[in-house]
Amino acid sequence: MTDAPVRTLVLSRCGSCQLRYLPRDAPCPRCGANRAETYPVPPDARVLAATELSVPPPGWTAPHHLLLAEVADGVRVLAVARHAVPPGGAVRIEFDGTVYRATPTGTAGRGEGESPKARSAGPSFEPPR
Amino acid sequence: MTVRVASVGVGRFGKRPEGLLELAAEAASIALDGVGRKPIDLVVAGSMLSHGAGGPEPLLPRLAERLSLEGASGLRVESTSGTGAMAFHTAALALAAGGFERALVVAAEKMTDRTTPEITGELAAALHPSEAAAGATMPALAALVAQRYVERHGVDVADLALPTIHARTMAAANPNAMFRTPVALAEANASRFVASPLRLLHCSAIADGAAAAVLERGDGPVRVLGLGQGFEAMRIVDRSDLTTFAATRTAAKRAYEAAGLTRKEIEIVEVHDAFAPFAPIHLEDLGFCGPGEGLDWYRKGWVGLDGRLPVNPSGGLLGRGHPIAATGLAGIVEIVLQLSGAAGDRAPGRRPKIGLAHAVSGLAAHNFVTILGEAP
Repeated sequence: MTDAPVRTLVLSRCGSCQLRYLPRDAPCPRCGANRAETYPVPPDARVLAATELSVPPPGWTAPHHLLLAEVADGVRVLAVARHAVPPGGAVRIEFDGTVYRATPTGTAGRGEGESPKARSAGPSFEPPR
Repeated sequence: MTVRVASVGVGRFGKRPEGLLELAAEAASIALDGVGRKPIDLVVAGSMLSHGAGGPEPLLPRLAERLSLEGASGLRVESTSGTGAMAFHTAALALAAGGFERALVVAAEKMTDRTTPEITGELAAALHPSEAAAGATMPALAALVAQRYVERHGVDVADLALPTIHARTMAAANPNAMFRTPVALAEANASRFVASPLRLLHCSAIADGAAAAVLERGDGPVRVLGLGQGFEAMRIVDRSDLTTFAATRTAAKRAYEAAGLTRKEIEIVEVHDAFAPFAPIHLEDLGFCGPGEGLDWYRKGWVGLDGRLPVNPSGGLLGRGHPIAATGLAGIVEIVLQLSGAAGDRAPGRRPKIGLAHAVSGLAAHNFVTILGEAP
């Protein structure tokens, strides 16, 4: 992991009730206040659930994996992945301005992640058309 | 509330040659005949996909013309797969408010004239835009829910299809259902993947169909006892627990309170089983059983016609087919038929007096509960 560039992910913190949540174009999901501040967190996440769509929607190519993953502060992200990652697996999350994308990183000795070989294999994702 | 359902109508669900207007008129005519064509002063109509190319828009004036109801007032509602329930609630509330005497509710969908990718794309409009932008579809998010449910409750993935087996058994006795042949668990679990772990037979099917009801002010069978609805965060990432739907719990609490009832007095129920693993979640959220216990009810046969609580005697979405807007009203129609002793071969030995119909919009972002029957 030493060769991985340092990246961060940005979350929102409600200035009123302090709820941490994934940034969105709407008020705080808990208290409705419009006083969100953003703050950086590490991009490391743990997969909570994963699915592979047999027929991806228009604009996406198979295999199209979607992961529900938990990042810092218990915040959840729905991310696109090129590879299957089982629940409990470790991923790194990046936001490309439209969607969150997940890359397997291995699980610190738990052995559930992808091999380094798979990680470095080619361009990561097909962009939506 | 002193509003009653005087009559209902439903046509066959599935692949139909007729267009949306004809399907709506068919169900509406059955319901109108049921009250001897007495005057209607309000029409509430619902459809989600009628805005597409060739769709019969504007729907209300065309429906009014078709049914000779131009003397009535009209309201149009839309709430994706909860549209039919929303139309029913709208009519009941309008009657209860005193503005009208007799309302026709009709909800219809025409789906089979479009390809599955087209329909899947249109239904993704019911998801949060940020999640649809990631290529999420309704089955994909349902798959994530299913996986969380499996993990949380230690469920055998093979058992997720139990509600499908039940649905197909029930649908066999419903002449209007799309799938009238029973399936075995092994067959369901060998069907192709749609969004892992969900397979084709975990998912309700694209269908054409319509349902209708005539509601009247005043007492008498079948009374509208309680209505409830609730919202939940539309983005699934804003939900802390995917194994329960807060919108159902809110809707149920409000409906039980409005009816002055508890879940113990409900004798028959129709739940929105768009995906098989949602059926146990709905039974849990409606209060019939505890978290993680829903599939046990299927295993033990408690959801059968003469079980502890008959569930989805119509076959539900999994057996009946799922013409989006019509579905929520079709569940209500089934409960009315059951309470009226008009359910034919799919009636329990003892006729139920109070029933509940549940409907879901989108990925359970806006849910509805309707309680019908004899006043307690």
